[in-house]
Order: sequence, then C-alpha cells, then structure tokens
Amino acid sequence: MAFREISAWIMVLALLLGGAFYARAVAELSAGLGELAPPALPLVVVYTILLVAVAVVGHIAASVVAYRDAGAPADERDRRIATRASHLSSYVLGVGVVTSLGVYLLSPRGDLLFYLVFASLMLSNLAEYALQILFYRRAV
Amino acid sequence: MGRPSPLGNRVRELREERGMTQAELGEAIGVTRQTVAAIEQNRYSPSLESAFRIARLFERGVEDVFYWSGS
Repeated sequence: MAFREISAWIMVLALLLGGAFYARAVAELSAGLGELAPPALPLVVVYTILLVAVAVVGHIAASVVAYRDAGAPADERDRRIATRASHLSSYVLGVGVVTSLGVYLLSPRGDLLFYLVFASLMLSNLAEYALQILFYRRAV
Repeated sequence: MGRPSPLGNRVRELREERGMTQAELGEAIGVTRQTVAAIEQNRYSPSLESAFRIARLFERGVEDVFYWSGS
C-alpha cells in the first residue's frame, strides 16, 4: 500500500474520531440545556487538537512502517488522485453550504447554521480522503 | 478493480526482459513503485512524458510499448 494511501486512511480515522467526539459533545451539551447548544470555541479547539494529534501519531507510525516511501515526493499519479479527490469533495462542501443557507432562510438560527456549515466542512474533508483511497485502488 | 484504462501496455513484459524491478523502473522514470504497478495493471494511464520516458528506457517507440485496447 502506498504511503499516501496509508496517510489517507489515517486522515479518515482522525476525521471520524474527531467528528464523533464533536457530535457527542454537542449532543450532551444540548441535552443538558434542553435546546441546541451554541457553538463553543473550546470544543472546536479540542476537536482540532484531537484531529492533529491522531494525524501526527498516525503519520509517525506510518513512516516507521513504510519508511521507504514516507519522504518521497508526490509523483504524477499522486497529484492526479489528489486533484480529482479535491475537486469532487469541493461539491460536498458546496452542496452542504448552500443547503445550510437554505435551512437558515427557512429557520434563521445562527447556531444551527454554524453546525451545518461545520458538518459540511467535516464531510467534505472525509469525502476527499475517502475518494483518494478509492482512486488508489481503482483505475484513475 | 474499477474501470481499467483503455490503454494497454507491454511495460511488465519489457521490464522483466531487462531484469528490472518495479522500483528500479519507477526510479528511472521518476514515479513511485506503486505507480509502475498501477501502469502494468492498467489502473493508471501515464502522462505522455512518462510514456516517452518508459519507451526511451526500453529503446522502443511509444506505440511499441503502449496500445489502444478500448472500444
């Protein structure tokens, strides 16, 4: 397995863990308040730290396992895969943001808008790395 | 897995004739071993530049190494 594919798996794992942590924390806060909890900066900071920590530890472990490929620059196939995955995942973000704006027009709640846009960003990132894995495994 | 490239090639055959590994071929043309494997398995169509590099390395014309196999 190419180092960059391993890297994509690590990022998928990091995003899933981070997303699960964030969703659970918001759900617990909201349950305590009896309504949708407002976005909190500390939660976003912890989410970011968790994401970075899993990514860094995962990449260090991957570098040990696939030490030959770890430092190699991206070649033409890597670049093509990254470009295609990034292009397609941008649609996820676009659709998510437009949908969020539509929801805001129907129900003008800033907190909900934040969560929907943030979720779109998470899903877009997740889609990008999942597509990279797919493209590494099939014809591209 | 997935839709194969419409480009067929004789890269594996020519590489093995010369006793080269995928890693050696990759290093010679500036791509990774995984990309060479993907080319050989028709999972990736190389750029024109890489196709020429491969053909030159094998001292063949591009059309002797790569051919159209799609409909």
